[in-house]
Amino acid sequence: MREAHPTDEWQMKSNIKDDVCYAQPKNLEQRVYIANDFIKRYKYPVPFGIDDMSNAAEGAYSAWPERLYIIDENGHIAYKGGNGPFKYDPKEVRGWLSARYGEVQHDDKDKVAKPPDGKAGDAKPAESQPAVTVPKA
Amino acid sequence: MSLFWKWTIGVVVVLLIGAFAGLSVMAGSPKDAYGMVRYALPHMHRGVLKVGDDAPDAKLVALDGSDRFHIRERTGAKPLVLVFGSFT
Repeated sequence: MREAHPTDEWQMKSNIKDDVCYAQPKNLEQRVYIANDFIKRYKYPVPFGIDDMSNAAEGAYSAWPERLYIIDENGHIAYKGGNGPFKYDPKEVRGWLSARYGEVQHDDKDKVAKPPDGKAGDAKPAESQPAVTVPKA
Repeated sequence: MSLFWKWTIGVVVVLLIGAFAGLSVMAGSPKDAYGMVRYALPHMHRGVLKVGDDAPDAKLVALDGSDRFHIRERTGAKPLVLVFGSFT
């Protein structure tokens, strides 16, 4: 879905500090590039899908800028979280899952990896790599 | 201009300045307050979905940029947690 704090809209200081500087994607290739940078940087361990440029999923789920849902086995909304960032609460999802399946103890190896120096690895900020490897519209 | 309108306009201006100052404190800075009003508020919606509703379907793109799949393809066997967000 659309970036929340791209360089050409409402950029946050924290994104500059963390070297997460991207302009709002103008096409799917740019969006896919950013998603892959995220995956590469954080070694995100769960299946990943990218909303296309119609933002259909974002619209259907009122998901911008961030939101959590649980869909049950029958295809019904079982949990709807609040709008992020203020009402984005993974603990509520964990509570729902714990109530359903019991508490789960995670090993350290299950934790999401964080970059050692807070930098973006091979990815470059938009200013120094202006949609160069990020495909152009 | 009558005294009534002078007071009305004055009060409205003071309230707007106060609201922007409050928003600036909440958001972190006047720039962020502007960003919140300009970019966030128009796009943040509570939405009409409720617990118990059928989950909408949407086609998503895989990380390779070409494969596509539907959200509802991933439902059925067990509960599906959807985590919506962006990198920035």
